[in-house]
Amino acid sequence: MIALLRSGFSARRSRHGLWGGPLVIVVALLVILTLGTDQFATRENLFNLVAQAMPLFIAAIGQMFVILVGGLDLSIGSVISFSTAILSLDGPAVVLIPAVFLLAGLVGLINGLVITRLNVHPIIATLAMQYILLGITRFLRPVSGGEIPQVVIAAVQGSVFGVPLPLFWGLIAIGLAAKILYGSRFGLHLFGIGGGVAAGMEDAARTYGIRVDRNIVLAYVTCSLFAALAGAFLAGRIVSGDPNVGLLFELDAITAVAIGGTQLSGGVGSLHGTVLGAIVMVLLANGMNMANVSPFVQTAIKGGLLLAIVGLQSRKKMGL
Amino acid sequence: MANVLSHPIWRRLAAVPPAYYVFGLLLLTLWLARPNMLNPNVLGIFVRQVVPLGILVLGQLLVMRVRSIDLSGGGVILLINYIITSRTFPEASGLTFVIMALAIGGAVGLLNGYMVAKRRVSAVIVTLAVSIILVGLVQFLSSGKPPGDVPKYMNQIFDIKYGPLPLPVLFWLACTGVMWLVMQQSVYGRYVEAVGESAEAAAFSGVPVERTVVMAHVLAGLIAAVAALVQTGSIAVGSVRVGLDLPILAVAATILGGVVFGRGEGGVWGPFFGVLSFALLFVVMTVFGIDEPGKLIAQGLIILMAAILYGWRSKRG
Repeated sequence: MIALLRSGFSARRSRHGLWGGPLVIVVALLVILTLGTDQFATRENLFNLVAQAMPLFIAAIGQMFVILVGGLDLSIGSVISFSTAILSLDGPAVVLIPAVFLLAGLVGLINGLVITRLNVHPIIATLAMQYILLGITRFLRPVSGGEIPQVVIAAVQGSVFGVPLPLFWGLIAIGLAAKILYGSRFGLHLFGIGGGVAAGMEDAARTYGIRVDRNIVLAYVTCSLFAALAGAFLAGRIVSGDPNVGLLFELDAITAVAIGGTQLSGGVGSLHGTVLGAIVMVLLANGMNMANVSPFVQTAIKGGLLLAIVGLQSRKKMGL
Repeated sequence: MANVLSHPIWRRLAAVPPAYYVFGLLLLTLWLARPNMLNPNVLGIFVRQVVPLGILVLGQLLVMRVRSIDLSGGGVILLINYIITSRTFPEASGLTFVIMALAIGGAVGLLNGYMVAKRRVSAVIVTLAVSIILVGLVQFLSSGKPPGDVPKYMNQIFDIKYGPLPLPVLFWLACTGVMWLVMQQSVYGRYVEAVGESAEAAAFSGVPVERTVVMAHVLAGLIAAVAALVQTGSIAVGSVRVGLDLPILAVAATILGGVVFGRGEGGVWGPFFGVLSFALLFVVMTVFGIDEPGKLIAQGLIILMAAILYGWRSKRG
């Protein structure tokens, strides 16, 4: 445990990246918010915070898989809006819920195949997908509305023994991601592929017998599936389908991942870092809300944060 | 089959930027569906609408030639539009606005260029973040409400026509011509080409790679400022949403015109026809009653198809 903690701060290149920084920031923010305001450390606010944080949490974890292989998925915002639109259609929950994940998986599959087989840059491929999917979503649901299946609403807004269900969903998402990233061959291969990409040797992983293309495709599918989960969660919170709810979500997710010490060039990063990064984002938003900062200024501050964080990450490649 | 496809004529035809084919196809569609719309006066009005896009594309093709991208144009256009229409500076003359616009564009371009070339940050993330900051700033200043009117003289300049040719279209042609000369004749144009082909090889040959990329972003910022002035002239009342979809359209038009991250077969006129294709596309879509969702899907598909075409070609080559 102590060795792990130390690795988060050491400048020695660790596979997990420098996640000690966000840990310090989280602790500092918690202290500041607890001492500075009397509303923060209340039971309601904290539970509310967990529910608010969950979509970003889940989306950031998904984004992390793609970033680890040196890619980027700009389409998750649209996947989130799309998922809420699908859930708000007329139909039984047993059809709609599997449909959301099936279609999101398909989106990830298309992203991955276009990138690996057709040799398109990930940013361009997912940017195009962002627009195509946004168009389809606006076609399905031009303005927000519709009804979300009761099961979804109950799963998001319910509570067990006074503990709100979102907390459990968050723990499940983290457990699932931990299993995928640290407990499977796929997870290990992601680090291998990304490490090669970051060092400018795209073929490094292939020479060790890793099926590079297949793993990259799988990373994009995983990312889309997590985004769909985030979308389903949001649908349960806002109780309707909304074509704009996922707008700019991809950038929040990327910021969270980057704050958590994951390198956008690939190969270096961690789940705990990403979780801490998402917590930083959520605490900042909560703090700014309590300080009555205008939502427009909050957007600008988030943009500045993203700029500052990626400005600190050095890489070899110039350009995209 | 493979033999037929590798015939020199086919290769030659496949090397033509897709924009020319798309433009021809759309022209044919329009001619078949609505022949009466194909007169200079009607088309002049439609082409005039895409002039801001056409000017923005000139910057986009420059940064894309050096393997970068600029998505901050939307924020720049919004901010300049806000400054002109909000009456923050009631005494300012037209010239003052032009200077302010160029200063803003140049500053944003310099920031982009520094982050991309010196700090080696992903260009997409930098320019998107800059755009978000600018949009957030404008929305905060205006509290989300539309600012005031556009000064009358700007609309009047925008409305000048020489015969069937609107002044903005002529201005666009002139700008594209200047850009063509820069790319073709100047040392800087050669640098851009060299960096696009291979930044490493260019560095070894003594090309100032970082400075070339920074300069490309500064120029793109200045060009975005010019596009913002034209865009402002095209509308009567200020808006907090104006120009936000232009950067992505500019990327699409540039790719369609045969300029993709370091590869520049399309030169300057390929993207020019890419923009014209979009002008026609909007007409055709309006004619066939396709509304906003359809347009978004079409934009995405065009980017995807053009990128796939180039990815496929570079893999084969």
